[in-house]
Amino acid sequence: MKRFKATKYAVFLTFAVCAILIILAAVFAPVLCAGKSPVDAELADALLPPDSHHWFGTDQLGRDVFARVIYGARITLSAALAVVAIIFVLGTLLGILAGYFGGIMDAVIMRFSDMMVSFPGMVLAIAVAGISGASIKNAVIAVSFVSWTKYARLARSLVAKIRHSDYVQAAVVAGSRQWYILTRYMLPAVLPTLVVTAATDIGSMILELAGLSFLGFGAQPPAPEWGLMLNEGRPHMQTASWLMVFPGLAIFLVVLVFNFLGDSLRDVLDVRKE
Amino acid sequence: MKKRFMSIVTALAISASFITGCSKGDKVDSTMQSSENGGKQILKFGCFDYVDSIDPGNMINAAWNCTRFGVGECLFRFNDAMEAEPCLCDTYEVSSDHKTWTFHIRDGVKFSNGEDVTAQKVADCYERLFACEGSSTPEKFLDCASMAADDASGSLTIKTNTAYPDLRKNLAYPVFAVLDVENTKNFDEGAIGTGPYAVTEFEAAVGVDFKANQYYWNGEVPFDGMELKFINDSSAKTMALQSGQVDLVENITEVSDLNTLKEDKSYDVTTANGVRCGFTSINQDGLLKNDALRQAVLMAVDTDTLCNVTLGGLYTPGFSVLPSNLNYHYDELNNPYAYDVEKAKQLLDTAGIVDSDGDGIRELDGTPVKLNYITYDNRGLATLAEGVQHLLKEIGIDTAIHTTDGDTLWNLTVSGEYDLSSGNWTTVGTGDPQEYLANWYSKGTANYCNYKNEKYDELYEKLLTEMDEAGRTALIAEMQQILIDDAAVLVHGYYNSSMCSSKKVKGAVIHTADYYWITTEIKPAE
Repeated sequence: MKRFKATKYAVFLTFAVCAILIILAAVFAPVLCAGKSPVDAELADALLPPDSHHWFGTDQLGRDVFARVIYGARITLSAALAVVAIIFVLGTLLGILAGYFGGIMDAVIMRFSDMMVSFPGMVLAIAVAGISGASIKNAVIAVSFVSWTKYARLARSLVAKIRHSDYVQAAVVAGSRQWYILTRYMLPAVLPTLVVTAATDIGSMILELAGLSFLGFGAQPPAPEWGLMLNEGRPHMQTASWLMVFPGLAIFLVVLVFNFLGDSLRDVLDVRKE
Repeated sequence: MKKRFMSIVTALAISASFITGCSKGDKVDSTMQSSENGGKQILKFGCFDYVDSIDPGNMINAAWNCTRFGVGECLFRFNDAMEAEPCLCDTYEVSSDHKTWTFHIRDGVKFSNGEDVTAQKVADCYERLFACEGSSTPEKFLDCASMAADDASGSLTIKTNTAYPDLRKNLAYPVFAVLDVENTKNFDEGAIGTGPYAVTEFEAAVGVDFKANQYYWNGEVPFDGMELKFINDSSAKTMALQSGQVDLVENITEVSDLNTLKEDKSYDVTTANGVRCGFTSINQDGLLKNDALRQAVLMAVDTDTLCNVTLGGLYTPGFSVLPSNLNYHYDELNNPYAYDVEKAKQLLDTAGIVDSDGDGIRELDGTPVKLNYITYDNRGLATLAEGVQHLLKEIGIDTAIHTTDGDTLWNLTVSGEYDLSSGNWTTVGTGDPQEYLANWYSKGTANYCNYKNEKYDELYEKLLTEMDEAGRTALIAEMQQILIDDAAVLVHGYYNSSMCSSKKVKGAVIHTADYYWITTEIKPAE
């Protein structure tokens, strides 16, 4: 049992280090790319295969793919983290309010949430991003708009479970203010589960945002965003495969790391046992 | 242990089936297809679905489908020099005022249902065309005063309100494809024409089946039928050709795909200098009203590299609005704004358009020069826009690219909500650029770029009444030079159309006029 616990922490630490490395790569992109810009084009160097000068080759406009992939981490990570932060805060807040107060507030929030769930998420995100105009900011809003419901439903059910517990009732009888009860008893009860959910969601949010950008509803040229880069490389799949391989690999690795990080965090926090 | 072994075997089997599924195992053999079709020779053609209609009265793209698919033919057809050649009409006469035109309908021509093509049938077809409520606007090409058919002599006399230098060219435009109005039940999906192929089944957004026209007047139809598949994605079209799903595809617009096919000896690729001009409209109702700024924009763009390297030869670079392969004195035109970055920077500095706040972007009257560039993903235009964006940044001009669809781009262009707008337009749709040049005529309704030059307007008005071919050519050359001198438009080059085929067919060529894809020139390989 002790050994299992130690392994759990080792796995978590390994993926936490990997995630930190990815974040550091994004932060120190200019250093890693040795000053190469992800948007500066050298038109005459179009579609050069990977070599010692351009590690990941160049794209149709002669831009360095390595620089674009590394800088791409900035957009991808910041957008994905922004989405997760928005849906975590919004979903948790609405879920706690619905679960604690019940009645009309519960009915309104949850029916609205049911309405959102009844649409296919990606299609609704495409509609929202399409109506509000294509940009990474609108893609973040669109994905947030369709993804908060999971957190609200989770938070609501967790709160509903303890809402009528003796210690909560005791706090009410003792005259505790609602704000105190919400922050002192309700929030701590839902946080571990929701934090784990948020950690595992980073990967899927990266995929959703990359999907929107791939379809032209997210990042716009010349932004170095992985989904957009995949779309730009698609026509060259047969002749310049590096245009799809490296951004694809970047998405694969980052999503893998964040998914494993979420899973190992769940093991560490032992949410299932709770 | 046994359990583990079984799971490994199962996993391997699943992986193998996935890999097999991803392979090119669906390659279709043409001989197999032939036996399935009772030994018939069927041409399999993949093309873009511009519109699900072949009715010339519906819209321009539908009219183009009608002649491109080999269903309809006009009284005349364009040769590769964009001259009108006899087709359903063999001889014609024109009055001295160019307002009365008499066309003799070729004897022995039949529709694909066996009905004779008579002068009256042609008149009926044109009358229906003018009565149609579609957007084909036949009146733009033929300002008809009256029409009289005489079946005894086989002639059709058309009197026009406007004098036309050469009405044959207008009547060679696909909108005037001759159809059997009396017997056609469904014009959109089953128009009956005189071309080598006739529609048997039309499935919107999927494809069209054709049979050979057994009554075809102009020689034997080489295939027994044709299966047309609508494939909108250029790469998918390439892969369909590679996998054997189709034998022939038109206009591969991705350079990588085109080069893949060119380098593979299993395919024939023909390209032709078309009559389309790829350009970026400059809206002069905005920042680009400034002459120096416009001139600098033109000088900052390395058209040669964009066309030859970035787009791998998809366009032939050029600087005038009319293609260099047409007979409008391109060689005699002078371009004062050839690619020269340093000169562009100097020009901006001299004009006081400088970067005063050090953010890398110049300011014009205190406003940062940030241009709204609208484009759409068609024939490499979006890539060209990105290339231009990068080149303009070199001289301190910022651009925000908005990639949209063709319809939205057109609406934004018409409403003037742009600084730069991508386009790829047919220049001599009716064998003459008069209509196209109206885009810069300030008194016309087609001038969406707010360009104004009195001399240009005057020459354009002269062009409307000039009947002599040499006189028209001289006027058109002069008008081109004015547009160049005024830095009125950022021309990239002239689009090269392409036709790619497998070795199962021969004779697949692309013509200068973009109206003839399926012809009797395309035959089964021996």
